[in-house]
Amino acid sequence: MTWRRAMPWAAVAVVAAFCGLVLSQFGLGQERASDAELWMRAAASLGARNVVSAIILGVRLLDTLVEVIVFTVAVLGVRYFLKIQEESTKAGEEIPESPLVAASSAILLPGILMLGAYVTVCGHLSPGGGFSGGAIAASALLLAAASLGAERVSARFAESRFERVEWGALAILLLVTLAPALLGRAVTTDLLPAGVRGNLASGGTILPYNVLISVKVFLGSWVIVHHFLRHRGEI
Amino acid sequence: MNGVTALLILLVLVAGFALVQRRRLFAILGMSVFSLLLSAVFLLASAPDVAITEAAIGAALGTFVYVLAIRKTGRLMVAANDVPGLLHEETGVLSGFEVDVLRRVAAASGLELVVGLMSRDEVEDAVRRGEADVAAGGIVESPDAQPDLLATEPHLATAQFTVRTPSAQGPSAIFRGEVGDLIDAVRGGDEVAVDLDLARLLALSRATPRQLEVARRDGTAGYVFLVAGERGDLLQRVNAEIDRMRRAGELDEIARRHLS
Repeated sequence: MTWRRAMPWAAVAVVAAFCGLVLSQFGLGQERASDAELWMRAAASLGARNVVSAIILGVRLLDTLVEVIVFTVAVLGVRYFLKIQEESTKAGEEIPESPLVAASSAILLPGILMLGAYVTVCGHLSPGGGFSGGAIAASALLLAAASLGAERVSARFAESRFERVEWGALAILLLVTLAPALLGRAVTTDLLPAGVRGNLASGGTILPYNVLISVKVFLGSWVIVHHFLRHRGEI
Repeated sequence: MNGVTALLILLVLVAGFALVQRRRLFAILGMSVFSLLLSAVFLLASAPDVAITEAAIGAALGTFVYVLAIRKTGRLMVAANDVPGLLHEETGVLSGFEVDVLRRVAAASGLELVVGLMSRDEVEDAVRRGEADVAAGGIVESPDAQPDLLATEPHLATAQFTVRTPSAQGPSAIFRGEVGDLIDAVRGGDEVAVDLDLARLLALSRATPRQLEVARRDGTAGYVFLVAGERGDLLQRVNAEIDRMRRAGELDEIARRHLS
């Protein structure tokens, strides 16, 4: 094996050795952190079964909100800076896809969208939430783009209307977050009742937050990918 | 050894696999498998939320973006032998019948055509090693096909000609060298007796003022492109485009432009 061919393996070995060292120092998943009980209690008080959701959308809501804004700025950047780039020819769109991909995407598409919706809506009960649910649903659109071509998917889903929904979701998200302050309460107050833990209608504002974030991520991911495809950029 | 340790070792191997791949699609699939394994590690480390996100972003979204990206920005790598009329480079510009055909094949798949010129023996090896997608440059279809290479449908008819300089002695032999060397030899006054295909014969007769005795041998053959044995998908795409060009009359038009 020449040095040129061995180099990637050497790089992997060095990184793996470093990660192994770190993991051996901290252990991996053997035991829960000592303050796990504390977090469980915090989640229970918010009516959520999923501790992670309770933390990111309850205790650390502002972090999540700023993350959504960072994502929005990224989408904006892609949208407006790629407009400067020349649009690519449509030649790539006309690739005849194999019937296998077309048929399997038709079967998988509703299932993936459904899974995305489920992961979003049940984010406070089971692992998941708005970010992952939106990403799963966006992968369904990409599957459609692979079998039909990105432009056709964009036309079918009326992308211009997308934009309004996307901004609307962000506006409502900010409004819901600011609502307690507007009503003269502390910013982190949850206005909705915690509900019975384990029910779909529980967890206070976690469910609406998840849905709004999911819509934002779903549309934003599609916009990013579609713009990359349309303006044969540096990907 | 517990499950997590086994998965971590597998992660390292898959990462190495993805890094050393020559074909970008395999590297992308390697990264996709890497993400799936990593999400399994997260799951075993009691982080199901992170596992779901890793699977959705890494294995699904990321893979799609990469696949769509290489489809839009990919290259069709061609290893070719220089044959005037078919595929010839002069002052850095490529021209010829096969160049035009390959340009259309590449455009039909949304790819950019990249041609590397090399000797006849190296052309086939480059495809075998996966360094090039297509072998081109006056490859005549042969009945004793190599099992590890697939030939496309012929895109241009040819025949074998026996070419002799007037005082050449002995039987002719199939010429397997560079057409440029042959031209230099004939110009330099060497006596040769070789069997040539149509394009190489035309190149030779145009390049030298010497009188050549040309006799057509029985049978016809066609020029083909070669792809690696496991690239049935590419073979199908090239054949489909050649077939389309033949039916649209484009092949005849390109042949007239370059060979008449």
